[in-house]
Order: sequence, then C-alpha cells, then structure tokens
Amino acid sequence: MLQNLFLKSLEQGLAFGIMALGVYITFKILKFSDLTVDGSFPLGAAVAASLIVSGHSPFFATLVALFAGASAGFITGFLNTKAGISDLLSGILTMTSLYSINLRIMGRPNTPLLNQPTVYAIIDDFSKKVWPLFPSKHVYLLFFIIFALFIKVFLDAFLKTQMGFALRATGDNPQMIRSQGVNTDLAKIVGLVISNGLVALSGALVAQYQGFADVGMGVGTIVAGLASVIIGESLLGGRTVFVSTLGVLFGSFLYRFSISLVLSFRLAQASDLKLFTAIVVIIALTAPRFRQSLKLPTKGCESYGNS
Amino acid sequence: MVILDHIQKIFHQDTPNENQALNNLSLKIEDGDFITVIGSNGAGKSTMLNAMAGVFPINKGKIVLDGKDITNLAEHKRAAFIGRVFQDPMLGTSPSMTIEENLSMAYARPRNMSLHWGLDFYRRKIFKDYLKDIPLGLENRLSTKVKLLSGGQRQSLTLIMATMKKPKLLLLDEHTAALDPKTAILVNNLTQKIVYKNKITTIMVTHNLEHAIKMGNRLIMMHKGNIVMDIKGEEKSTMTIPRLLNKFEQLQGEKFVDDRVMLA
Repeated sequence: MLQNLFLKSLEQGLAFGIMALGVYITFKILKFSDLTVDGSFPLGAAVAASLIVSGHSPFFATLVALFAGASAGFITGFLNTKAGISDLLSGILTMTSLYSINLRIMGRPNTPLLNQPTVYAIIDDFSKKVWPLFPSKHVYLLFFIIFALFIKVFLDAFLKTQMGFALRATGDNPQMIRSQGVNTDLAKIVGLVISNGLVALSGALVAQYQGFADVGMGVGTIVAGLASVIIGESLLGGRTVFVSTLGVLFGSFLYRFSISLVLSFRLAQASDLKLFTAIVVIIALTAPRFRQSLKLPTKGCESYGNS
Repeated sequence: MVILDHIQKIFHQDTPNENQALNNLSLKIEDGDFITVIGSNGAGKSTMLNAMAGVFPINKGKIVLDGKDITNLAEHKRAAFIGRVFQDPMLGTSPSMTIEENLSMAYARPRNMSLHWGLDFYRRKIFKDYLKDIPLGLENRLSTKVKLLSGGQRQSLTLIMATMKKPKLLLLDEHTAALDPKTAILVNNLTQKIVYKNKITTIMVTHNLEHAIKMGNRLIMMHKGNIVMDIKGEEKSTMTIPRLLNKFEQLQGEKFVDDRVMLA
C-alpha cells in the first residue's frame, strides 16, 4: 500500500509541482506576493475542461489554458505596476474576478471529464502502440516525470538568460537593476505572466488527471505552492537555481506524500487538509527563527510573504 | 556635454514640509570634466545627481545631454548612458546573485532584457580581465555571491559595472563615504584610474574636502540648492582647504557647516 501511496504522491507532486514552480517565480525570485494563483489554477482547469468537452484536442485545450493563465498574470502585473495597486491587493482583485470568469467559462460550478479524451488517454494510446507491454497505470507517472522535469529545465535555462538575470535582480535589488537600464515594471509583468501561465498549465493537467474541473479547486493553491517552495528550500537549500527548482518539485512531492499519509492513516479527514497545510506553512516560516533562538544552524531560509 | 538649465526641485510641494532642494540651478558640464561636488548640509548635492539620473521628475528646467533633451526620460532609459555608484554599498549590486551574474547585467546594458545567455566562456574571460585591474583578488571568485563581499569590494564592483559600457556621464554619490579610510583610498584610486583611462565625464559628490581638492579638474560648491562656487584650472590645482573654507565664508557670510565633512 505504501508503495502505491508513494507513486500516487509522486504523480500528484509533479502535477502540482508545475504550479509550485510558478509560485517560486513570484514569491522567491520577484519577491512579489501573488495571490492570483488561487484564481489562475482553476482558470486553467476550467478553460481546458470546457474546450475538451466541446470537442477540441486536449493538447490544444491545455495550451489555451496556459495562455489564459498568462493573461491573468498580465492583468495582475498591470494593476500593480501601472495602476499602482499593491502586490497583494492586485492579486486578490484578479483572483476574485477570476471566480466569476471561471463560472462563465464552464457555465456551471464543475465540468466532469469522465470518458473524455484527455492528454493522458492520448499518451496512453500512443504508448500502447510503441511499447505494448508498458503497464498502463504508470503512464501518468512517466508523463509527469518527463513533463515536470522539462518545465524545470526550461525555467532553469530562462533564469540563466539576460532576461532571467533581470528578473532575479528585480526581486533582489530593484534600484540597482533600474540603474542598469532595466524597466522593473516590465520585468515584474514578465515574471507574473510566466508564473501564472505555469499555474494554469498545472491546473489544466490536474483537472484532466482527476477527471473534473471545479470552480472551488483553487482554494489554498497559493498555500500549497508556498509550502512546496519552503519545504524544498529548507531541505535542499537554494545555492543555485538548478537546486532551488529541483527543491520545489521535491517539496511538492513531500507535501502531497505527507497529506496522503495523514489521510490514509485516518489521522484527519479530507476537509481538515487546508487547516493542516496552513499550519505546515506557518511552522516552516517560523522554524528559522526558532532555530536561530536555539542557536541551531539554519539553511538559508529567509523571510517569506512579508515583502 | 551635459547642460542643467535652471532646474528646480521642490519636495513635498504645498505641504508644511515643503523643501526647495534645487533652486534654479544651472550647470554646464564639458566632455571629459571630472567635477567634485562639496556642500553644506541639505545643499542639494544628491538631489542634483538624482535629478540627472531621473530618479524623480523635476519641477522646472531642462536637462540636456549631448544636445538631446532627457528631462522627461525614464530612469531605466537614462541608464543606457548614465552610470551610477551610490553611497550605500548595498545599493549598487544584487546581493544574492554572483559576481559574474552582476557583471553580466552591466555588460549587456542596455539590451539586458534579451534572451541571450547571461554567461558564457567569452564573457567570463572578459570579466576576469576587468577584475584583474583591482587588487582585490575577485578574478578568482567569479561565482561567489555578492552578499559575501565587503563594502569596498562591492563598491569596486559597482564602479566596474557602472563604467563597463562607457557611460556618457558617471555619477558618484559619496561612493567612498561608507568605507574605512584605507578602502576609501583604494576605491578612489580605482575611480581615477577608470575615469582617466576611459575619459569619462564624471561628477563626484564627496564629504572629504581633501579628495575634492585633489581629485578632478573642477570643483563646485553647493549651498541651499544652488552652485555658489565653481573652481577650474589653475585655481583648482592650487586650492587648499583653509582657502576653500575662507572663500565660502566670504561668499555666503556664514560658516561652512557639514556634520560629516572631513577636512583631511
């Protein structure tokens, strides 16, 4: 049973890990507390589900979901940089309006995807042709491992470009990067666009994985994402971008795994999960302080969420 | 050539805290000038530099650089031709990024939002050559994070970053004030070396009267938002501190007051 639990958590951890990578961009790199995530995650799910149900290719639907999330990120960035609304509030405004927009997109609170051609069904068919003996139940896992690592490597590469440097410096020292000729407003918007694009992509994949899109599935996304980022960093440290992004995926897996453990041993019921997540994040956020006062060595976990 | 044409900057306008920081200030900076700026408390030295860099809009007047009116140009756009080093060693570099990553951002200026790789073999080699110029041993620590460097090392790095792509104007805002005397000398020597070698037009604010007199070819003294003294050529090279203070008192009828001024 534990092996099964482990593999399931790995699948989920990687699927949600793409979302956590998006959260990593805003919270860690830009130091921008972006709450849009709670809206752009179900946005991705809603867009993908609606398009699949209306007969479009699931790959096309997933791609459109990504762009929908990216535009949500753009709106938050625009509100923050051009309209001068604080980062928290501009995220909340976009998130709130997305709730209505998601209902509009689906036309009802949820869209089931059972017996619909999802990306996994197509990949499953494909793998059957290429390698008939490959066990069907591991197709998800294989897909998520390849895809999440692909996104991770892509993000790593982006953060090593000139634009990636500009984004990192914008979060680190905006004054400095402005004096080096970078428009920090633009850098913020670019970061939010990529971040929310990834979050919506993750939402689209999760909806197809669990077989439905629900307007309420975004609640607590940001906290889960933040938990992944923090767990990853406190375990692996953040010396380089390569290690940090790997830590995010690993943190996402550990987070899902611990939830599965708690649930399978009936230590809590499903409805308690958000509470537990919040408590986990609070502990992770305050741990460095406690460690400091106990004079224990800390592993580079600085303050979050108060930027 | 840079021209400041009757610029005026009022902070907190129409409030009880209204403060006229720059008062119809005009200045003509010739190409290759190395101007040192001194002045009493609240004279507007930093405000003048920030106005040139575009940190805030000015209330009145015009700023012209090489015949181009840059009065309303955004700060990040001016950065294409203005290099800056700040007083606070924390401000000029990105602390959680490495030395080579910081240098890369300066090297790519002004096209540093491109998707070009930030670092490659060729660039690393260039950066090493730049760092060999300063006797701090940084050329072997390219992948060290800048937050691990000392204030002097950071200021030297910032100076290299500000001048890497030869700027039309270099603004140094008390860039050695936060350093210990020995490091300050090192950074000042580096400043002179870079400025003279590349013939960069430079404005340096300082609280150290000795530096102000020894360095550069022109010295201006500011008081209450305006320039009250402009010394060039032979008068500058034969100036001494007592004569400078004396001249100020004669001109203004009051003593030169600066809490942080260093006479020697």
